[in-house]
Amino acid sequence: MTDKKTGQRISRRQALRRGLRLGAGLAAFGVASGRFRRAAADAGKVVVRTGGGAYEEALRKAIFEPFTAATGIQVVPFATNVAKLVAMVESGNIEIDVADLGEFTTVTFQNKGALAKIDKSKFTRTDLADLDPVRDYYIGENTYATVLGYNKDAFPTKHPQSWAEFWDVSAFPGTRMLEDMGAEYPNLEFALLADGVPMDKLYPLDVPRAFKKLRAIRPHIAKWWDSGAVSAQMLASKQTVLGSIWSGRIQALVDANAPVAIEWNQSSRQLQTLCILKGAPNLDNAHKYIDFALQPKQQAEVARLSGYGPINRKAFDHIDAATADKLPTSPQHLKISFATDASWWVAHRAEIADQWQSFLLGG
Amino acid sequence: MSQSSPFVPATAAAMGRRSRRPPLALCLLLPALLLLGFVFLYPMLDIVLRSIAAPRGGVSLAHYGKIIAQPAYLRVFLITFEIALSVTVATLLLGYPLAYVLVTARRGIAAAIMACVLLAFFTDVLVRTYAWLVILGPEGALNQVLRALGSAPLNLLYNRYGVLLGMCYALLPYMVLTLYSVMRGIDRNLLQAARNLGASDWRAFRHVFLPLSLPGIAGGSLLVFILAIGYFITPRLLGGAGDQMIAMVIEQQVELGVDWGFASALAIVLLALTILGFLLYDRLVGLKSLFESKI
Repeated sequence: MTDKKTGQRISRRQALRRGLRLGAGLAAFGVASGRFRRAAADAGKVVVRTGGGAYEEALRKAIFEPFTAATGIQVVPFATNVAKLVAMVESGNIEIDVADLGEFTTVTFQNKGALAKIDKSKFTRTDLADLDPVRDYYIGENTYATVLGYNKDAFPTKHPQSWAEFWDVSAFPGTRMLEDMGAEYPNLEFALLADGVPMDKLYPLDVPRAFKKLRAIRPHIAKWWDSGAVSAQMLASKQTVLGSIWSGRIQALVDANAPVAIEWNQSSRQLQTLCILKGAPNLDNAHKYIDFALQPKQQAEVARLSGYGPINRKAFDHIDAATADKLPTSPQHLKISFATDASWWVAHRAEIADQWQSFLLGG
Repeated sequence: MSQSSPFVPATAAAMGRRSRRPPLALCLLLPALLLLGFVFLYPMLDIVLRSIAAPRGGVSLAHYGKIIAQPAYLRVFLITFEIALSVTVATLLLGYPLAYVLVTARRGIAAAIMACVLLAFFTDVLVRTYAWLVILGPEGALNQVLRALGSAPLNLLYNRYGVLLGMCYALLPYMVLTLYSVMRGIDRNLLQAARNLGASDWRAFRHVFLPLSLPGIAGGSLLVFILAIGYFITPRLLGGAGDQMIAMVIEQQVELGVDWGFASALAIVLLALTILGFLLYDRLVGLKSLFESKI
């Protein structure tokens, strides 16, 4: 055996002694860090699940840091996917207090009985009257939209302004893209809008009618996109000239001066929500966190940094007109868009997944 | 080969002596067995149980019934095996000559080729796949070159070609390295001897080198096939609607549908079909070919 530093051979006994010393050191560290962790919980912390990435960065600046400054409670961000969260709930070993989740997942968790009721009487900072929706088990935090995105070079003078026009391949030629079930859910609503269903009468969705309409556009679809990155890549590189796309993704392209633009008409709004896991170790702090996060100023800041639309209507008092014009929940966009019914989707997801699978394979 | 070695009896005797002390062997195996038990057997059992658990307790085969009743899922299994098999054959056809050059070329050239192979190995699969998006797109590097040469652009993205290209590229190193390790162990004097006995280069290769490299072919193919079966990032990004692989469907059920029972049933069916494939392979080629050369 050779020591790396000195190049000398060391005896087995020496090696053993080193190993023991290392082991003892590690054990001591383990004990110390365990004690440290418990001490931190006493000092007050809240563990928040986020999806990570740029969105978490926005939350850190707009909520985590001001929250700690105001309350002394440490925010521990916990970036994890949904599968890990499910495993945590199933094993009963809850390490997370607040979950920042899309409404689809929140409703799924609620149905599984994994959420704690939010006790709104504990709120002191946020006026719930300014928020919509406020539910027993979750509160809307902000909103993203699925919009009609198009390439300006392909449509310099006139672009499709509704899903009916999106479906009109003779007036607006070119390949298109729509969402795959793998991204979140397929654009059945857009198909129904294209088929003439009014925006306020979409739910419950007429699924066979929607699939029939999707079959009509299928030959013109280059790809059913199943991740936000792919949809942005396709529109930016002109692999498609038209498509449904998440507002944040296309806004990033617009900001980078790509020749693309957003048509907000008939866009669908999806909710990002805040909820508390049942068995959350820091229940009080979880309430404090949510109360703090939903204030107008915090919401405005998240919107400015992330492009997500605030739920708190008073947030727009802190947002300039140029920024508001990019947000899915600004008054002008609220009027011409619709809210996705997450409960309907959660209830019907499995059966639609089966149909979607055969649809993809030509059925 | 080893059977003709004069050292065999001595080795066997030595092994026999060691095996008479089972406690040591058991002690040496125990960590691996425990690890396998915890991280492999237990989760596997858990998946089996989930796949047959009824929502309100009890046992139900509803998930399996759904897989059989919905032809779409069976089609996806078929597509998965189709793609995995194509990728295995393609990487073998590409990798065999490459590995052969690696063991026969001069040291400098061999090192350069090896570096290229390993470079692909060390780059993150996501990065590599995104690179293919940039290269293969209608306005991508490849089509710009083709256009400059006056040729019609190729449509290689969001279809089977894209998936096969991306997966072959990602899995080629596994094939090459497996073949390489076996080919390196082949005694080149045997080829020399064949030639001295009047065999042409081709004949020497066909009757000496190729049979000796069979374990590499068998091992590499098996490795690539099994890795390919579970692929999902590459087909998801580069494929079209007709290139759904089963891992994509399973991931969707786990992450978006949160239907772990159905996901488990799909995983078990995949496992069963893979084992079936294994048995078929054993019938046709023989698993023994993995461990010994035929000459």
